[in-house]
Amino acid sequence: MSEANVRLDGATAEVVRSYLLAAAEEMRATLIRTSFNPVIYEVHDFGLSMYDADLRLVAEATGLTFFLGANDFSLAKGVEYVGRENLHRGDIVLLNYPYWNAAHSYDATLFAPVFQPDPADPEADGTLVGFLCVRAHWMDLGAKDPGYVLDSTDMHQEGLIFPGTKVFSRGEPVREIHELIRFNSRMPDLVIGDLHAQVAALRTGERRLLEILDKFGRPTVDAAVQRMVEDGEARTRAALAALPQGTWTAEDWVDDDGITEDPVKMRVTVTIADGRFTVDFDGSAPATPGPINMPFGATVALCKVILKSLTSPDEPSNHGTTVPLEVRAEPGTLFHAVYPQPTFTLWTGIVAVELILKALAQGMPDRVPASSGGDVPGFMMVGTHPDTGQMFAVSNNDLVGWGATPDHDGMNAATHVSGSAGRSTPIEVLEARTGMFFERLEMRTDSGGAGRHRGGVGLRREIRFTTPGEFLSVIKKTRSRPWALEGGLEPDPNQVIVFPGTDREARVSTKRVKVEPGDRVTLLTAGGGGHGDPRERDPEAVRRDVAEGYVSAEAAREIYGVDDG
Amino acid sequence: MTHPMPAIRLAVDIGGTFVDAMELDTRTHAVRFRKAPTTPARPWEGVLTAVELLGTDLREVELFIHGTTLGLNAVLERRGETTGIIANEGFRDVFLLGRGNVPSDHMYDFQYQRPESLVRRAATIGVRGRLDYKGRVVEDLDPDDVREAARILVEEQGVRTIAVCFLHSYLNPEHEKQAARLIREAYPQVTVSVSTDIVREYREYERTSTTVLDAYIRPIFERYVDRLEAGLAEDGFDGRFLIMRSGGGSMTSGVAKTSPMHTVLSGPAGGIVGAAHVAAALGRDNLLTFDIGGTSLDTCVIERGAAVAAYEAKLEHFPLLIPAYDIRTIGAGGGSVAHLDRGLLKVGPQSAGADPGPVCYGRGGTRPTVTDAAVTLGYVDPDRFLGGDMRLHDEAAREALREQIAEPLGLGVEAAAAGIFDVLLARTVGAVRQITVERGHDPRVFSLLAFGGAGPLLAPLLAREMGIPEVIVPFAPSGFSAWGMLAADIVDDVSRTVMVTLEDADLAALESVFAEAAAEAAASLAAQGIPAGQAVLERAMEVRYLGQEHSLTVPVGRDLRPDVVRAAFEELHHARYGHVMDNQLQILNLRVRGIGRIEKPELPRHAPGDGDASRARTGRRDAYDFGTRAVTEFAVYDRAKLEPGDALDGPALIDEGTSTTVVHSGQRVQVDPFGHLLVTLTPEARA
Repeated sequence: MSEANVRLDGATAEVVRSYLLAAAEEMRATLIRTSFNPVIYEVHDFGLSMYDADLRLVAEATGLTFFLGANDFSLAKGVEYVGRENLHRGDIVLLNYPYWNAAHSYDATLFAPVFQPDPADPEADGTLVGFLCVRAHWMDLGAKDPGYVLDSTDMHQEGLIFPGTKVFSRGEPVREIHELIRFNSRMPDLVIGDLHAQVAALRTGERRLLEILDKFGRPTVDAAVQRMVEDGEARTRAALAALPQGTWTAEDWVDDDGITEDPVKMRVTVTIADGRFTVDFDGSAPATPGPINMPFGATVALCKVILKSLTSPDEPSNHGTTVPLEVRAEPGTLFHAVYPQPTFTLWTGIVAVELILKALAQGMPDRVPASSGGDVPGFMMVGTHPDTGQMFAVSNNDLVGWGATPDHDGMNAATHVSGSAGRSTPIEVLEARTGMFFERLEMRTDSGGAGRHRGGVGLRREIRFTTPGEFLSVIKKTRSRPWALEGGLEPDPNQVIVFPGTDREARVSTKRVKVEPGDRVTLLTAGGGGHGDPRERDPEAVRRDVAEGYVSAEAAREIYGVDDG
Repeated sequence: MTHPMPAIRLAVDIGGTFVDAMELDTRTHAVRFRKAPTTPARPWEGVLTAVELLGTDLREVELFIHGTTLGLNAVLERRGETTGIIANEGFRDVFLLGRGNVPSDHMYDFQYQRPESLVRRAATIGVRGRLDYKGRVVEDLDPDDVREAARILVEEQGVRTIAVCFLHSYLNPEHEKQAARLIREAYPQVTVSVSTDIVREYREYERTSTTVLDAYIRPIFERYVDRLEAGLAEDGFDGRFLIMRSGGGSMTSGVAKTSPMHTVLSGPAGGIVGAAHVAAALGRDNLLTFDIGGTSLDTCVIERGAAVAAYEAKLEHFPLLIPAYDIRTIGAGGGSVAHLDRGLLKVGPQSAGADPGPVCYGRGGTRPTVTDAAVTLGYVDPDRFLGGDMRLHDEAAREALREQIAEPLGLGVEAAAAGIFDVLLARTVGAVRQITVERGHDPRVFSLLAFGGAGPLLAPLLAREMGIPEVIVPFAPSGFSAWGMLAADIVDDVSRTVMVTLEDADLAALESVFAEAAAEAAASLAAQGIPAGQAVLERAMEVRYLGQEHSLTVPVGRDLRPDVVRAAFEELHHARYGHVMDNQLQILNLRVRGIGRIEKPELPRHAPGDGDASRARTGRRDAYDFGTRAVTEFAVYDRAKLEPGDALDGPALIDEGTSTTVVHSGQRVQVDPFGHLLVTLTPEARA
């Protein structure tokens, strides 16, 4: 925002800050209220944010962790592509080109410039005072397969692409673009509906931002924003300074790329020094033929999540809070996909969250938990419902044991740390909506990594199919164990066993398999890594674990050295 | 000896620090109000003390209505009974797993831990017997498994109360009933909570959680009600004893003992029931409640005359499938501490509570609070606080503000205190906008009903800020919650999950499910002393687009034809979400609310006075005016002397001992025929 020379007291600054945050939250309420697609209004798979005219993040609403940091990257790319001089009051721009949009092609970013009209010339655009940005997951944009695309080999198999295209121009809808979207989607009503919901959220934010400027005057708002940004940066730097300083490297593996069976190497070097947080993915695999690659913006977004959890978990973010972050990844590698490398299953980012923590744990074993199962074990069934004759595609994200920490045991079976607000789907819902019958869903004895503090336990889920269809396993970490810390033990990895006990029995990771009634699948989700030597565990805690069934009497004796005869 | 016809009603509300007791004489409409300290260790004693303070002759009391958060506190403080769970084989962990999620305000905390569980895993057992998603038996219940499970729970695990919840039981409760019978036969001394007795809705974790919490609090709740009943009877009480429910209405103490679940979130219910009653009496369809106490600010939407309820609530992280008012809370109230965080002024979330309390209480509090700011701004007369019962240390409050806030910020003391109000207000504006936007409304179509000790102090300021056209201040705002309880009907809610698409629904089958639910509701009311002829049965359907999870509650009449239901659904959906779709509709739950009307306390109309408010004028005081943002002279009025028809313009302070209404310049107060203060903009300010 413009140079301002107003004296701003700490009360006024806080009041302006509260109003800006409330505006972002109101955008969120508007999006939820008007969206058509349950992934938006139930899973909250969206990110909303507000910027000043210099593209600095001012406020954001609560949403999906990975989405929040991604908007900053997309907005900068989008404005650069369109050109500031081509933006007018009432314009709204759509962007989903993965390499600029910091996401896969089904995450659609809409952004709008905000102009403050000039009372002397109300017809003109007025002054550009900021930007608003809303990202949301769209149900379908015409990729090669319905639902998830697990095996694309270039971007053009992943749907219709918009590089920064006006869907509203000077307040008027651009009909041709709306029709183009409609004719390229398998679920046009949902997608067009969601587009309008995003527009409604942007309009709400625009109205509120202009009200705030009217109420306080632009110099005061500018001064408040400047102060928020400076404060955000100072907070992050202070928090970084309080952390151990140094450089740490970690390696880990993604199971495969969905095309071949070869494990894919990830490597990260994290440095905390001089008030900066540097994450370098040098040494990671080249981009793979299959779609597990990350656009660079998505890589940056995941690093923001880690930085936030380390430095300001309870404070709203703004531009300043991430100024100390630097992310490096060679173009053309796993963490920096370039055109036309496929990116649809970019959930590599989930595994990479733990990779970064693994590096950090070397420098701060007293602050970082051990591995939390390594990944989000997801599955989906696609088929035709026997009662309705309609196609269904229903997914679930399963729970894993969280890593033990220096102070306490890891949480038993919970949603993975990378998106821990997500919920698993009830058995009663899964059985009613799909052709799956569940024979067991229980915590697994001895599945948590042993240690002075024990990793949380994972689950055993046994599925029997009652109708024909396809079963999709969506998991990238089944071949290597979740890591432990300080002499704790590593638990068994996630396992997806299709057709157990038959001659077709196989362990799979990300895979689509045909199933018939009577077929079975068993999922064993991983526990968390242990922390510290199990022999140092409080014997009372071991006995309690045995009584509760988290640890067997045998493991208590063999691993923990607690024998109660 | 005979005594007069019982004509007194008593409402007693237990809060965190005080027990509020309100007496209504139905012959004269006169109300009296007293407070007594809460006695957490023996909670019934505080209730009896408050009644004693009122001096009411319990033989004259026809109705005693009670609001208690005993069940809530038992959960929060983990003081419930040792509880066990019997579930399906292979699914003993439904309760411990939940849905796996971490609360969203902890989503960046990679070391999060769940709060202590209510049930140890060793006290959870699976038994053979399984239903499918249509409620058909896939495997018979194994009675030996059930007996053995009960034996282990009771004899080895020391369990005194057992929750039973099986998969898909909402469609077929037979296995649960059998299991309960077997447990009760073997262990008659053990309390058994059966999921389908409490709620017949889908989703196993949510149903199990509701059942477990019921099991956990039932024995202690029962003991409490027994004690209280005995104590009241000893003093001659022979009337009807009702207990407030979380989602509106009340139930008899007998029902409450077997369904304590419905009391857990009833804390704010009295105020909301009262607000709906006021809304009806004043002909205001849309009302926002604005209740500020010591530590929090609660707001709830009253829409078309009815408070917005939700059918799923939360206690800590436990979901509860019970109706409860949809209340939004901001952690900021009179006791919230103002402090500087890197030079920015913050209010709350820490609270000075009742002890040590704000600096001005002189009980050792050293950190300035919202109340200290109010005193410094001149809104509260230090000599007349609580009717003069407690002298406030206004100089100490001022000094704390100067040292800790004003000087570091480089502001004057008044400006700093006003800043505290600004910050609190900015947060409140956000919350109020959100709760109305979510319902698809502009906040400017609402009136604001202000109660709680500090409600009238802040509400006119909020209205000014948001363009809300009217603030209503009821009589004795700090006792409004207890008064509101007097307006509660006897209510029972019965629901059934059906999950059929609207187009495919067999109308006769729907009717028969409704009839079954209605019969259950009517029987419950009859057992609570409401004759069949006086029971009102309201029917509603929860409907959603096929494939979606969230649903809308559509009131329905006799006509259940698909096009009629669809039209009603679309009207609501359009209002809430701004659009409708052509997709198929699915009926999720059928709901019947049985209502036994209790005669409402009449809002007494008073004859208009001469219109000259100066009769109530007691003096003047310097205070901070937000209209001009300066300290200026406020006229001070005694509320007790204001009469209907009076009008006065701000800046003015209207004192009534336990609370003060602060009216800024540009605002006008009119006294309506019931004695409510209506705060609006002056015609000049409007223009």
